[in-house]
Amino acid sequence: MSDLAPALVLAGVTKRFGDFTAVDDLSLEVPKGSISGFLGPNGAGKTTTIRMVLDIIRPTSGRISILGRPSALEVRDRIGYLPEEKGLYKKMKAAATIAYFASLKGLDRRRARRRAYELLERYGLKDFAEARTEALSKGMQQKVQVLASIAHEPEFVVLDEPFSGLDPVNQEVMEQVIRDMSAAGSTIIFSTHVMAHAERICDRIVLIAKGRKMFDGTIPEAKALMPRRVLVEGGDGLAALAELPAVAAARPPAAGDGAWEFQLREGADPQDLLQACFERGVRLRRFDRREPDLHEVFVHLVGPEAKEAAFR
Amino acid sequence: MRYVLLIALREYAENVKTKGFWIGLFLFPILILAGINVPRFLEEHATPTRYFLVLDRSGEAAEVIRRATDEHQERRIYEACLEYVEKHPSERALELARSAAGDEERTRAMLEQLPGDLAELKARMEEWKEAGFRAFRAAGGHEAFLAAAEAQGFLAPDRPPFELPPRRFVQLDRVPGLDPQAPPEELVAEIKRRMKAEEGFEFDGKPVELFAVVVVPEGVFDPNGGARVEFWTKNLADDDLRDLVRNALDEELRRRGFAAAGVDQDEIRRIQALTVDLAAKDPTKKAGEEEASKSDIVRQWAPAGFVYLLWIALMSVVQMLLNNTIEEKSNRIVEVLLSSVTPGELMAGKLFGIAAVGLTMLLAWVATLIGILQWQAGPGSEIPALLLDVIRSSGLILPFLGYFVAAYLLYSGIFLAIGSVCNTLKEAQNFMGPVMLIMMVPLLTMMFIPREPNGVLATVLSWIPLYTPFVMMNRFASPDLPTFDLVGTSVLLAVSVVVMIWLTGKIFRIAVLRTGQPPKLLEMLRWLRARD
Repeated sequence: MSDLAPALVLAGVTKRFGDFTAVDDLSLEVPKGSISGFLGPNGAGKTTTIRMVLDIIRPTSGRISILGRPSALEVRDRIGYLPEEKGLYKKMKAAATIAYFASLKGLDRRRARRRAYELLERYGLKDFAEARTEALSKGMQQKVQVLASIAHEPEFVVLDEPFSGLDPVNQEVMEQVIRDMSAAGSTIIFSTHVMAHAERICDRIVLIAKGRKMFDGTIPEAKALMPRRVLVEGGDGLAALAELPAVAAARPPAAGDGAWEFQLREGADPQDLLQACFERGVRLRRFDRREPDLHEVFVHLVGPEAKEAAFR
Repeated sequence: MRYVLLIALREYAENVKTKGFWIGLFLFPILILAGINVPRFLEEHATPTRYFLVLDRSGEAAEVIRRATDEHQERRIYEACLEYVEKHPSERALELARSAAGDEERTRAMLEQLPGDLAELKARMEEWKEAGFRAFRAAGGHEAFLAAAEAQGFLAPDRPPFELPPRRFVQLDRVPGLDPQAPPEELVAEIKRRMKAEEGFEFDGKPVELFAVVVVPEGVFDPNGGARVEFWTKNLADDDLRDLVRNALDEELRRRGFAAAGVDQDEIRRIQALTVDLAAKDPTKKAGEEEASKSDIVRQWAPAGFVYLLWIALMSVVQMLLNNTIEEKSNRIVEVLLSSVTPGELMAGKLFGIAAVGLTMLLAWVATLIGILQWQAGPGSEIPALLLDVIRSSGLILPFLGYFVAAYLLYSGIFLAIGSVCNTLKEAQNFMGPVMLIMMVPLLTMMFIPREPNGVLATVLSWIPLYTPFVMMNRFASPDLPTFDLVGTSVLLAVSVVVMIWLTGKIFRIAVLRTGQPPKLLEMLRWLRARD
């Protein structure tokens, strides 16, 4: 197993529950040490995929290789997992919970215990180490659970919706946890509905809808799928720019915003537009290349019908 | 295996920490202690002194009743004296008791001499008690008794003073404010009014309430009978006084009847004391030892106690198993667990962990049971001592623990399967109904099996694996339990346990990750047929 081998390979993975196809012929590779986001509307098959990756359920067909092995159970001590629906033993204390799950991942009990206190202290829960988990707030419980899933310093971390239910401050803590693990060399995949997180911390994204992969690549690659847009504000003559061959579509200034928005054709360079302005003697007050955000890419790729489901 | 152990350890630690476990642990000895002591306590302390009035038109009955209540009080004093000596023994008395108890030969000989039939034994004990009481009375009552005990050096020097027990019944001849010479109808009407109004009166400087009025007509001791005595009381539940009065009057009536017929007083007493000596014998015992002893009877019934214990312990631990499984499932903890361990390891860990909890509880119970019996066993309370002897000598403990483990594994299969298909306890309740019905059978049949330990009911039930542990435990009472039954049912039980665990494993693996509605029975059957 060379260092260059991907941490996770899915080849033609399909999962059917009766007549329902949850995941349809999904193939992807996750490079070692990367942070990958699994994006997709609700019911897209993210959780099913994650469960198959962890060998909690078996695919109907297709092949999975994780850390070079066909089953996650063979390398379970090197994998950390946070499931989508969060829950803890209510009567167990926070530190004991983390230590227990870490020891189930092969840490000896004393080290697991030490590690639990260390993590609770680092992520601001030191005072709650001896509190029963049912006494913690929902956000704290979730943090405890995340810490429980990574306490054994896994090489490969799977987080299903790690941000859901967290306030903005704790969402940032969660991002920090992910970055810390990545810095320590772990490979991380997580699923989310919130594009902003994916955009901030992911190296790569995998977009799934209705069980099919819609996109798999880096964020710049994803953004490149969207037509480029340019915002131009200036004197007369801007309307004429819409006739240019490089422009696919133009939107006149909306009320309150004096800028035209031009959508460029694929392969066209904003430079061409700028040059045309100079040639026509248009006085420019503003000329902005507008980067699409991941949100737009998402809506563009999975279609407006998924939009409601994804952001409800 | 390491993971199984880790899971088992957690299950054990968490369940042993719960309040329910400790409550169960302490409730049992408390119940036993209460069962032994509360009736005694109530008898001694909770019954107030009853004041009653005798309106005697015969001129003789009041005296007869007074003698009876006096004797009743004297008996209470006698018992209090015995207890006092027993509670405050001197070193010398303890030493004597120890040397007597240490003499096993003698104890055994004494036990063997006891009659085997319970009724017979009771009669014999009454006789002894009666003889003791007569001697006590003849010697001059409690003062003479205590002086003698003191003189013998049987009493501890630092004991509290002896307290006379309060009288249970105080007989009045007249109630203050009432003219006893008034016509009886008037008196009765007035007294009824007072009793209805709960109007008390002063007695010995204390306000007291009239408990009952006995109206005795003239000619109550007419040898031809027919006189009607009225006993007026608001409290019909406490019939001690009523019985006392009736017995006293009956006895006097009969005594006079015999006397009228010319029978000698001593002769009457002798005839009344006659009994038939009915000895219960057991043909399976060696010649000379056939007499079934009291401990044989206890031996026959002790397994029923164990069955009950087994049932309660089983119910409490499988309940834990169910709760834990549902908690893990509803919290989705199970998903994290299954990313770390296989379903088989999870199940095995839970089974072992909870089994250890159950065994801890049982051992604690058996230990406290023996402890309490040892503590309560003493002169005057030989049942605990006998029970103790039977528990020690009968070898019931080992099969008991064995059957507990087997029953646990069998039933835990059912409960784990239920737990794994349900998301909430409420859903589980639906499945629990039929399971509870099935589990009630051993309890319902428990009392019948010792009567006929090798009968049809017992034999049939012991071949049903779900009931084998209970019924076989029960059948240990039988001195000639067929070896075929014992071995055969054990093998069947072991096979059933293996099959049950295997089936549960299949259901557990599939069901534990499922969400939503519990599956239909048909669907579960399909899972059983499915290969991995």
